[in-house]
Amino acid sequence: MSKAAGLTDAELVRLCRAGDPDGWNELVERFSRYVYAIAVRGFRLGDEEAEDVFQDVFTRVYTRLDTLRDDSAVRPWIAQLTRRRCLDVLASRGRETAVEEEVLTHEETADLGEVEEAFAVREALAGLSDTCQDILDRFFARDQSYKTIADELEIPPGTIASRIARCLGRLKDALGPET
Amino acid sequence: MTSHDYLALRLEELLDRISDDGLAPGGGSASALTVAFAARLVAMVARCSPDWQEAGGIVAQANAIGERAVHLAGADGRAWETALAALRDAEAADGDDPRRSFALEQKLEAAASVPLEIAALGADVATLAAETGDNCEATYRADAAAAAALAAGGAAAAAHLVRVNLGVRGSDPRLANALASEQTARESAERLLETTR
Repeated sequence: MSKAAGLTDAELVRLCRAGDPDGWNELVERFSRYVYAIAVRGFRLGDEEAEDVFQDVFTRVYTRLDTLRDDSAVRPWIAQLTRRRCLDVLASRGRETAVEEEVLTHEETADLGEVEEAFAVREALAGLSDTCQDILDRFFARDQSYKTIADELEIPPGTIASRIARCLGRLKDALGPET
Repeated sequence: MTSHDYLALRLEELLDRISDDGLAPGGGSASALTVAFAARLVAMVARCSPDWQEAGGIVAQANAIGERAVHLAGADGRAWETALAALRDAEAADGDDPRRSFALEQKLEAAASVPLEIAALGADVATLAAETGDNCEATYRADAAAAAALAAGGAAAAAHLVRVNLGVRGSDPRLANALASEQTARESAERLLETTR
């Protein structure tokens, strides 16, 4: 893991501004899946178009990072750049004529919301203890049964549901009052 | 082959499909759906227990297990129809063809792997129901016990199907797992039912 991996978004932006190559690598690593997810899930772009968007967005991030006013707002800024670039792609292929956000269908807007939500959860999850991250990943992502979790972590099976519930409570706190 | 997206069916249509013929949905799908019903009951009881700090986390787990159970209901339907077709092919074929026998055995094993997962989910739901019954609003404790009983029934039915589909002896680890799930579910249900009588 690079030294930049544990930094907050704002710290990472400052590192990039200082021209640190590790910082740039981490920034691309941290946001690449986000950009792809918006392009592919939110705007239903194909692989090739998504790749174009990806290249273009990170080129803009690289050349315009100095224009970002609030370093901690890098994620919404990248999301905005990505959405605009995706709308350009849609307009250029004639599927849409306007390039305003209003042209998104209901379904596409809902998908974008899901993408945002998924990444917010992922970010909050990263702030939890390793134990919580592990047990939530096992239950919700890997679909492991309580018995499998208990056997592999060597903890009493009767305590698994409570542990998961407590970790979910912490995740909810980390996500804030709107969740 | 018919659709196995049972969530897309109206309840009456689903019940008709179960009773219609020897095709899916059959015992495996019905046991998975029973576990799904039980999971949703647990979610309801937890949701109606606002003083219980962990209720929100229990709702999330119960709903996740419920979704898995519904998915397994469809998966069981598909696996069972595939196995049934292979069984009919084998019966119609002349003589003993070892390749055909091997293919049939593989399909029956695949048909048994889904009930094995259903039994494990049944055990999880019964465990969750027991935890919920211990902590929920008193008014809803009977619903938690009902959920545990349903989950235990689903687990028992699924474990039975594992045994039959595999035609295995007691030493097979898959059967041992299924029976362990059945036992976990039964014990949780019995304890909760006993305390709510």
